[in-house]
Amino acid sequence: MTSAAAMRMEWTKLRTVPSTAWSIVALIALTVATGSLLMWSLGTTHCASHCEQDMPQLSLSGVYLAQLAIVVLAALAITSEYDTMMIRTTLAARPRRLTVLGAKAAVVTATVLVTSAIAVVATFVVGRGIPVDGYLPLSLADEATRRAYFGTVAYLGLIALFSVGVGALVRHTAGAITTMIALLYVAPIIAQLVSDERWRHRIEKYAPMSSGLAIQATTHLDRLPIRPWYGLGVLAAYAAAALLLGAVAFLVRDA
Amino acid sequence: MSQPTGRSGVEQTNRSTADQTDRDAADQTDRDAADRTDRGTESGYRDAQPSYRTTVRNPRDGFGHLLRAEWTKLRSVRSSVRCLLATILLTVLVTPLISASSSTNANEAPHFTDQFTFVHQPMAGDGTVVARVSSQLNSQEWARAGLMIKQNTTAGSPYAAIMVTPRHGVRLQANFDTDIPGPDLGAPRWLRLTRSGAVITGSESTDGTTWHAVGTVRVGALAPTAEIGMFVASPPVLRVTKTSGGSSTSLVLSLGAATFDHVTIQPNAPQQFPGWSELMLNGGAGTKGGPPANVPTDGDGPFTAGDGPFTVHGAGDVAGYGIPSFPVGDDDIVVNSLSGVQLGLLAVIALGVLFAAGEYKTGMIRTTFAATPRRRRVLGAKAIVVGVAVFVAGLVASLTAFYIAQPVLRRNGYQPPAYPHPTLADGTVLRAVVGTALFLAVLAVFSLSVGVILKRSARAIALVVGLVLVPQIVASLVPSLGVANWINRLTPTAGLAIQHTRPRFDYAIAPWGGFAVLCGYAAVALVVAIWLVRRRDA
Repeated sequence: MTSAAAMRMEWTKLRTVPSTAWSIVALIALTVATGSLLMWSLGTTHCASHCEQDMPQLSLSGVYLAQLAIVVLAALAITSEYDTMMIRTTLAARPRRLTVLGAKAAVVTATVLVTSAIAVVATFVVGRGIPVDGYLPLSLADEATRRAYFGTVAYLGLIALFSVGVGALVRHTAGAITTMIALLYVAPIIAQLVSDERWRHRIEKYAPMSSGLAIQATTHLDRLPIRPWYGLGVLAAYAAAALLLGAVAFLVRDA
Repeated sequence: MSQPTGRSGVEQTNRSTADQTDRDAADQTDRDAADRTDRGTESGYRDAQPSYRTTVRNPRDGFGHLLRAEWTKLRSVRSSVRCLLATILLTVLVTPLISASSSTNANEAPHFTDQFTFVHQPMAGDGTVVARVSSQLNSQEWARAGLMIKQNTTAGSPYAAIMVTPRHGVRLQANFDTDIPGPDLGAPRWLRLTRSGAVITGSESTDGTTWHAVGTVRVGALAPTAEIGMFVASPPVLRVTKTSGGSSTSLVLSLGAATFDHVTIQPNAPQQFPGWSELMLNGGAGTKGGPPANVPTDGDGPFTAGDGPFTVHGAGDVAGYGIPSFPVGDDDIVVNSLSGVQLGLLAVIALGVLFAAGEYKTGMIRTTFAATPRRRRVLGAKAIVVGVAVFVAGLVASLTAFYIAQPVLRRNGYQPPAYPHPTLADGTVLRAVVGTALFLAVLAVFSLSVGVILKRSARAIALVVGLVLVPQIVASLVPSLGVANWINRLTPTAGLAIQHTRPRFDYAIAPWGGFAVLCGYAAVALVVAIWLVRRRDA
């Protein structure tokens, strides 16, 4: 059995489930709509002399919602097989478990990367069309802006890998999704409530979402809790750890 | 003709619609039951098919039994018990982390502000000063214009004052800690301050002849000769600047102005008055950097001993802890100690969704509806059971978190007077602690309803989290305060407002108002779920 065949099998499973299409639509719609709405809501009344705003970051803030769709898509890709006991059929057909998990992760991540790229490009195109008097318009001529847009696609791909890992570890749909949501969202909310600046930076530096999304910053880079690519590295470390633990659990446990 | 073939538990009849009238009494009950459940099917169908019904009355038809059935399901499923325990554990465990990493130095700042313009002269012994505040500029809701008696012109020295304010009526205040509200009326108004030893009486009047006492205060350390006169102050205005990732506040000076006339001093002992002199006092908290530069020296000075009119300008505040305009500590420490619920609510969402979607996944829902065909009641029982269970778990969690956090916060500087110790005897604190449990209970009902509507746990959890947790993050990122406030008002996140115990610039909605928004979401979702569950196959 080649891994190409395993990937084709996983691709067939992924594309024939209606929830995949829903997740893809939600991912694109939420990214574009949220970013555009926030840009559209910008006012200039509060600006003292000139309006300062990280426009690429604002236009990309739809990912906070859209990544929920990725978590659902990626976690379901593995946990739904446990719900229906399809996993036994899969493993009977393809007993090499690492190949199965690798193919799943590859197919899910590739799907998410392609979809995210479409969503991010659409966000940029729509964002360019929104009149933002007094603010810097979006422009790809800026190196930091290119990094923000490209990095967001990479971020979403890492979230997919992370979710597959957690899915393989937890195996239960609701459990896996809740765990992922807790890992992603709770730290930033706690950080908002912490009044000590040092602690806030510490939380934002090591929490997977806030460190990973440092990649979106294009202004005040010196004030970031972690440098953009390093932040993405922190998220990659989380994803790698989850995949490793998930793979070990997948190898060791009965299906 | 109807031919009853048996009177045992099972009855088989071959009936037609024509002779339904001459059924006997036993048949009557059976057919009524059949009619109820077969409503909507055609009578021709009933003609062709023999109906198959039990005559044994279901002894477990009451709502109480339904509640017990749902409770049994809740407590015997491992995942829901885990979720309830996780609600408590997650809420409680994250609490020390949040409180340990919060600290304040609010108490290190001086406990009073003594910054105002004073047009004064010394008065020996007892006496009375009267003036009419003919107009006052509405520069700030707590701007003050009135009469004051003060130990001396040193900032922080004891005083008593009667004043009008643009929005808070007449007040008698003393010594940076006493505040006695008078009638809710502003300028033009006659004011009177009477000294009798250490006892100062403040009165107000509409016409200068009929006087109403506002109150009496004791200024113990008052010297025999004290400064008396007119004063004007206007506290700074809080300006909020919203940026991505947070908001910052700054204080902007406001300049108050008032016109006094009919100013008279009536000392008990005859004495020579030196005439009015004007002084800008500047002391206490928030007054670093000298007196406000933009306070104009008044055009009609030097003041004579006449009775006015005098126009006086002034900026700043005469206040301390106990006087409402004095800024108390910025942090809401009750919210701080209860915010572990942000993690605990994930377990509640999972529980609510799974309590519905889990039955759809396993097909248990068909058994449930077969046992109790009244689907509305099943859903009602589910909502009550999950709501009550989560409320109890939530109350345990919020009480434990509250008591764990208090000593930690105290160690980190959250002490009186800037931060009075919160106790459950205080209504707002009790509302926050019990309200946290209520918030979780209603959130559970909302999640249950979404679980019924969507039938699948994955999308239901994602949707509820998207509505409850993510808006908070998006609101903090939005660069406009208006949009952020609307996000916090319109999403179920608003329910967390019930934890608020003090006014804050970034609180978008009143405590019960926010809770009502969450209840609205839950009610709409429950109605849709009930409507769907009746017309949809299980």
